[in-house]
Amino acid sequence: MLDTFVSKFTDKKIKFIKIGIRYFLDNKELEKNRLDVKEKFFGLLLGHDEEVDKFTPSFGLLDLLSKMSNEKIFVKDIGEMDFLYGKHLRVRHVLRIEGEKKIGFLKLVQNEHDENIGYGKYVGEEGKIQVLKHRMDRGIFLKRDKEKVMH
Amino acid sequence: MFKARYKEMGGDLKVVKLNRCIRVNTKKISPDGLKARLEKRRVVLEKVPFLKNAFYIKSSKFNLVSCPEYLLGLFYIQEAATQVPAEIMSPKGLVLDACAAPGGKTTQLAEYCDVIAVDNKADRLSILENNLERLGVDNCIAYLIDFRSVQNKFNYILLDAPCSGNFMLENNWLRKNNLKRVEERSELQKELIGHAISLLNKDGVLVYSTCSLEPEEDEFVIQFALDNFDVKLEKINCIGDDGLTNIFGKNLDPSMKFCKRFWPHKTNTIGFFIARLRKC
Repeated sequence: MLDTFVSKFTDKKIKFIKIGIRYFLDNKELEKNRLDVKEKFFGLLLGHDEEVDKFTPSFGLLDLLSKMSNEKIFVKDIGEMDFLYGKHLRVRHVLRIEGEKKIGFLKLVQNEHDENIGYGKYVGEEGKIQVLKHRMDRGIFLKRDKEKVMH
Repeated sequence: MFKARYKEMGGDLKVVKLNRCIRVNTKKISPDGLKARLEKRRVVLEKVPFLKNAFYIKSSKFNLVSCPEYLLGLFYIQEAATQVPAEIMSPKGLVLDACAAPGGKTTQLAEYCDVIAVDNKADRLSILENNLERLGVDNCIAYLIDFRSVQNKFNYILLDAPCSGNFMLENNWLRKNNLKRVEERSELQKELIGHAISLLNKDGVLVYSTCSLEPEEDEFVIQFALDNFDVKLEKINCIGDDGLTNIFGKNLDPSMKFCKRFWPHKTNTIGFFIARLRKC
């Protein structure tokens, strides 16, 4: 399922290893360090399969894709904050759009420093207020921090 | 009871107000680069004089964990004393982080070299994994195992041992702790340090640290290591008082002065102890 997700951004392949439901970047150098027991986490996490037929990318994968693909939307500071709060992107948020402008296609969301903050689905801009439907953003780390501290 | 003990050690049971501290994730950004970005958000920073890549937060109008720079993994909120072990180790090759979660020191070590991180608590390891992802660490392998089951050899090991903590970490620490608990921790720490030394290659370096100020968990554990294994203490160049060489009627190895103990009222950090050992 990782391959399918990656193919939405680039024709290039990403080599991976799978541990349980999680995908990690293949890394031969790091592999030399392995202990003789099953690891929980190996190098760069790329994502995981959900119970249903769904793949959830990691932010490591989105970072990687942002260096391999030009399917990106660059946002202003205000757009960055709003997107990190889970909001959809609007015309006023956007600095520029790169790659194909096909409705329904996935786009990586980059801040002014070309750092990836998440991704979403492009819904067009001509005469429309909304540009991109929010799918996933780095604000999730805040939520995860809170959940893990509460436990 | 603790107050009298601390007095005998030349310390004090004085709670101080700590400055919040962040460590720059140099895998992603330079200290100057982060400083400029946070200052643009009107966060006032001050360089921590005894650390390479850390700033005190002097003032901020918002909670730092909600700013994009935190979510992007450009920094880690990490108390100043706890950043010292990785800095004084400065590993040149693969390092074993023996009690790794929640991952402050692990992610710091990963800026130097590849890291094997082990921890035996699933909930804590998942916090570590979250931190690895947020900070974009790509050179760490994490295991949910008891460190005592590791058999591989290493040139560098960090043992930030489970300890009783100190009065700066929780309000009711004095009520919750007693000498029995300290002694129990001490026994576990001796077991852990013994195993860590057994995994070290010749000339390998072990950095031992705790956030306890009790000699039973600090100097006495190091004395146990010196008495029972072929290791020697190395001088540490950092802040803090020298390790105790004579305490509670016990004469300890003179090289114990190479260890460092951080008294909160002197270092403006949490209570902390650190030792650097080399296998002979």
